[in-house]
Amino acid sequence: MSDIIEVKNLVKTFTTKDATIEALKGIDLNIEEGDVFGIIGMSGAGKSTLVRCLNFLEKPTSGTVMVEGRELESLKDAELRKLRGSIGMIFQGFNLLMQSNVITNIMFPLEIAGADKDKALERARTLLKTVDLAEKEKAYPAQLSGGQKQRVAIARALATEPRILLCDEATSALDPQTTASILELLRKINKEMGVTIVVITHQMSVVREICNNVAIIEDGALVETGRVAEIFAHPKSKAAKRLIIEGKDPDEWEAQNKAIAGNGSMELPAELHEDRKIRIVFQTNSSYEPVIANMILRFGKPVNILRADTKNVGGTAKGEMILGLPKERDTQEEMIKYLKERDLAVEEVTGNV
Amino acid sequence: MFNWDATVVNMILKGIAETLYMTCVSTIFGYVLGLPLGVLCAVSDKEGIRPNQPLYRVLDIVINIVRSIPFLILLIVLIPFTRFVVGKSYGSTGTIVPLVISAAPFIARMVESSIKEVDHGVVEAAQSMGASNWTIIRKVLLPESRVSLITGVTIVFGTVLGYSAMAGTVGGGGLGDIAIRYGYYRYQADIMIVTVILLVALTQIFQFAGMKLASKLDRRRA
Repeated sequence: MSDIIEVKNLVKTFTTKDATIEALKGIDLNIEEGDVFGIIGMSGAGKSTLVRCLNFLEKPTSGTVMVEGRELESLKDAELRKLRGSIGMIFQGFNLLMQSNVITNIMFPLEIAGADKDKALERARTLLKTVDLAEKEKAYPAQLSGGQKQRVAIARALATEPRILLCDEATSALDPQTTASILELLRKINKEMGVTIVVITHQMSVVREICNNVAIIEDGALVETGRVAEIFAHPKSKAAKRLIIEGKDPDEWEAQNKAIAGNGSMELPAELHEDRKIRIVFQTNSSYEPVIANMILRFGKPVNILRADTKNVGGTAKGEMILGLPKERDTQEEMIKYLKERDLAVEEVTGNV
Repeated sequence: MFNWDATVVNMILKGIAETLYMTCVSTIFGYVLGLPLGVLCAVSDKEGIRPNQPLYRVLDIVINIVRSIPFLILLIVLIPFTRFVVGKSYGSTGTIVPLVISAAPFIARMVESSIKEVDHGVVEAAQSMGASNWTIIRKVLLPESRVSLITGVTIVFGTVLGYSAMAGTVGGGGLGDIAIRYGYYRYQADIMIVTVILLVALTQIFQFAGMKLASKLDRRRA
């Protein structure tokens, strides 16, 4: 497939009173049509500047940006605005019109494009269905959750039927479950509508979840780029190693690379064939309470941590885990009871997790 | 004490009407001048959607100068201009011209600060959709700041009402005029008190109505 976005030797410098800051130091990037392309880096690495150069919200200091074969630099203001209309964009802060309801928000880009009002309404309703919010047509953004707001923003970004969708930290303000559902939606959009998606993020999990290709940037320079699976398996650059090994979800990395190991000093338990898997969600528990360890000690039976994404938010544990329970029916029931007593939301999960 | 006959009541009713006339018309024309001026300031400032430092500086200085001139001085300085515009320099209509000139820069500042409250992210989103600056002003900046703008109108209204009373000292008409002529020059304290109470009541009513409207139009809360 051909490249829908081509970036050559992109440089962006910001001049302030005291200093010149080189935000981007000569970036080369090619994004194929239909791809889901991740751009990952620590905060301040320049990734937000980079994505803004792709639709010229930021004008590069030098270098070229080609979108759908057109060089953005050469476009007149009106042409540039028209081109921007064919590139959707979503943001970390959703950026919805707070004083307009959901349907008006989604119709906004069509209004800008001068579309017929009835057609715009029809299109907006179709999109609301796509993002599963059909019943929220008349709601105002303040009445929606973060995930719902991002869904509205996605519907809005798709209103003009863009070929490209830029996502600037679109899931960074969302909790893990909502992030997963938004990523699922993005994947669906990519598959069903063939929209090329560029994902800017600092979360490794996001890249692994939906991207085919990834570029790692550090201090305004591109340090590594390639297939996601490859980079995750064999990170070459220092930045990649740091992101992957010390990144946000290193547990998941190790889990993927090796089978789950138990405590190193103990004998490894016999292979677990869990027929029953549960998902527990930490909301209110103290992060100082070793819930899982206590449970294992109490029942004297190992559980298999199939997935874990938890963190300490001001002394409270937040996040989720998926556990494989031991074979014995009674122990299973008692463990579930034990977890429920500790105020954890417990639900059964089936299939591969 | 004064005899509260129909003449006095009629005079006070007329005073109320004149005060409302001066205040409302001045506020409206004040916004005709001040709203575009305020938008221009917000847009041309360095964080605005079309920064233009020289333009911003000029507007900034002009606004500050006009705002610094005491209203009573402005009232007198503008007499020839007022005569040119409305044909006379006294009475309620004659007061409107200096009221507008003094309110407009104040309004411009209120509008500027309201618009600057709009989240830059929303503006950026509109830009990413290909909106022109004019569209952003009409469809994003003004609607998104409407609550703050309406609160501003309420404040402006109260201020203009106060100024209109001041215009009474130079024959401006309205409740302020009555308060000065009867209450102050003729020592009829009861008339003065009644007019002051009416001015307070008017301010309160508009303040209340304005705030009510603003919060009714606010969709930012769930």
